[in-house]
Amino acid sequence: MIKIGVASLAHMHAIGYMDALLEIDGVELAGIWDEDAVKGKEIADRYQTTYYPELEQLTGSEIDAVIVCSENVRHLECVMAAAKAGKHVLCEKPLATRVEDALAMIAVCRENNVLLQTAFPVRFQTSIKRGKELLDSGAYGKILAMKGTNRGRIPGGWFLDREFSGGGAVMDHTVHVVDVMRWYMGAEVTNVYAEAASRFSEGKIDDCGILTMEFNNGVFASLDCSWSRNKKFPTWGDVTLDVICEFGVLSINAFNQKMSVYSNENGVSWDYWGDNMDLELIRDFVQSVREGAKTASVTGEDGLRALEVALAAYRSAEDHSPAGIILAH
Amino acid sequence: MKNVLLIGAGTMGRTHAEAYTAMKEVSLRGIVDSDAAAADKAAERFGIRAFGSYEEAMMELDAVDVVDICLPTYLHREYVLKAADDGKHIICEKPLAGSLKDAREMIDYCKDKKTKLFVGHVVRFFPEYVQARQVMEQKGLGDIAVVKASRTSSFPRAWDNWYADASKSGGLLLDLSIHDFDYLRWCFGEVERVFAKAYAPESPEGGGYALTTLTFRSGVIAHVEGSWSHQKFTTSFEIAGTEGIIDFNSANDNPILSFRKAPDKPLEGAAVPESPLLEAPYYRELAHFLSCMETGEEPIVTAEDAYQALAISLAAIESSRSGMPVALA
Ligand SMILES: NC(=O)c1ccc[n+]([C@@H]2O[C@H](COP(=O)([O-])OP(=O)(O)OC[C@H]3O[C@@H](n4cnc5c(N)ncnc54)[C@H](O)[C@@H]3O)[C@@H](O)[C@H]2O)c1
Repeated sequence: MIKIGVASLAHMHAIGYMDALLEIDGVELAGIWDEDAVKGKEIADRYQTTYYPELEQLTGSEIDAVIVCSENVRHLECVMAAAKAGKHVLCEKPLATRVEDALAMIAVCRENNVLLQTAFPVRFQTSIKRGKELLDSGAYGKILAMKGTNRGRIPGGWFLDREFSGGGAVMDHTVHVVDVMRWYMGAEVTNVYAEAASRFSEGKIDDCGILTMEFNNGVFASLDCSWSRNKKFPTWGDVTLDVICEFGVLSINAFNQKMSVYSNENGVSWDYWGDNMDLELIRDFVQSVREGAKTASVTGEDGLRALEVALAAYRSAEDHSPAGIILAH
Repeated sequence: MKNVLLIGAGTMGRTHAEAYTAMKEVSLRGIVDSDAAAADKAAERFGIRAFGSYEEAMMELDAVDVVDICLPTYLHREYVLKAADDGKHIICEKPLAGSLKDAREMIDYCKDKKTKLFVGHVVRFFPEYVQARQVMEQKGLGDIAVVKASRTSSFPRAWDNWYADASKSGGLLLDLSIHDFDYLRWCFGEVERVFAKAYAPESPEGGGYALTTLTFRSGVIAHVEGSWSHQKFTTSFEIAGTEGIIDFNSANDNPILSFRKAPDKPLEGAAVPESPLLEAPYYRELAHFLSCMETGEEPIVTAEDAYQALAISLAAIESSRSGMPVALA
């Protein structure tokens, strides 16, 4: 039996990951830590697991791995605690909000011989995986350009507080699609141009942005990372990727396995019926833990590379000039 | 009754001829093309006279009020100046010219000769684009945040393959994306900065792809996709504001989709979408220009607008070459 703990429920994905744990054989949700004792206890009760009032109590307990779902800036302390206690880590994206934090996380996990996986569920989305397969088949020839979107509704709470999130939409939504682009091409971003603005959050934080990136294989790509889906939009958001190739165009709309539901009360909503990528992400992480894999399938470095792009986007948006990236090691 | 002479019997020449033929108050006197077969074929179809050159037509025809120029872009200047010399009102296809210098000279020349110059930025006459602008004006989408516009098609293989020669067509940022640049400027005012990445193949097979970000003085961020690498002609736009979103995609929003099997090839054939209107956008545009000649009213799109759209295209081209954003004066 693989035992997994959850460090912080601050990020709403924690619930999805815990639901996934319940569905996988040979895995136990073995404990939760959250700063908020009332919420922590309530959720722990609901999931019939132990609530720990202190982070070190969770990481020191009889578990194999920790899923970190704290506010972005606190990933560092959670990953440190887990790694030092010898526990494998699956950390919510963005891996960190500063390059030095990401490097420290990678280092501490390496020193303690534990896995560090960045939670990029989109890589496990069935249509995104199929896209990789199609491109790898060679049938489309060389990739020339890409156009992606990862849009969503504006979140609330700490997401709008830079002290905790490290940034808004650009921080939150750049990393998923950049990770997929890197994965599809095996290439790194060399520079980023970004226009970003604050429109939906009453000036609290950046909430819309268009990035244009150059990769070290010559491909250019753009990404709309805006929190531009409104309350009445039929779905929460999207992940799309158009890949312009030498011999054709591959257009992926990852969640376009949907039906429209029309109700007098809620108007129209798009109900998704495709595979659950969170479940596949957790299944993959658990398998790496179970098999004693040397590295995670999506690593801390992958998280760092995507973070570097988001940080470069902020620099560019500030300067109105492309920002270069020097890969940190 | 207005007497019109068409120059150019290519794709646009025939499209304009069709529109004029349907107008009661217009007499299409003839069509000029240096390719005799093209001129004859069009002349036969529309029941008008064919001419091998502009000079020949002007000698033969007594009453010409309007010269409509549907020639490849690099020939616009020469024929606009000729028609102005002859004191004719002029309708010229977009883009007005390949350089700002030429465009300014053409505008000034027509002013000097007291002839009117209209430029065919037809997107301002497509009902879906007109209505989106109306919805913004009348209902309001709140603060406009992010706008996306896309125009994708296969490569236009035309007479002499002139589209493939950037010195003649300007490439797709000048020829194709200019439609969206003009439309966006019509909606959101003057552009402050332009950043673009473009791919242009060297082969005569054509193709090409470009992604442009426009930042307006108003703060609106717009992203424009232009492609000659797709299969079907598709246009789409999305305007996201704080109070609402407008979304249109010609690939989905079609009243007619016709699929017909050829009796001898029952397994072949493709579905063809159609969006019929009593008055096609080109009809609306040309009828509007003719009416402005009559009334002296300012057209919905002026030659100065065409100049400004050209400036945006040229800035995008410059940016795609230098890798830097280009500020517009
Ligand atoms: N508004 C739109 O939607 C739209 C769409 C397509 C093209 N255009 C524009 O329309 C213009 C024409 O494009 P097209 O696709 O029709 O080109 P085309 O190649 O189909 O037609 C051009 C025609 O001009 C003729 N020609 C060339 N040199 C000539 C000369 N010196 N005298 C007389 N005839 C000559 C050629 O024989 C050819 O028949 C271009 O400026 C293009 O950018 C606009």
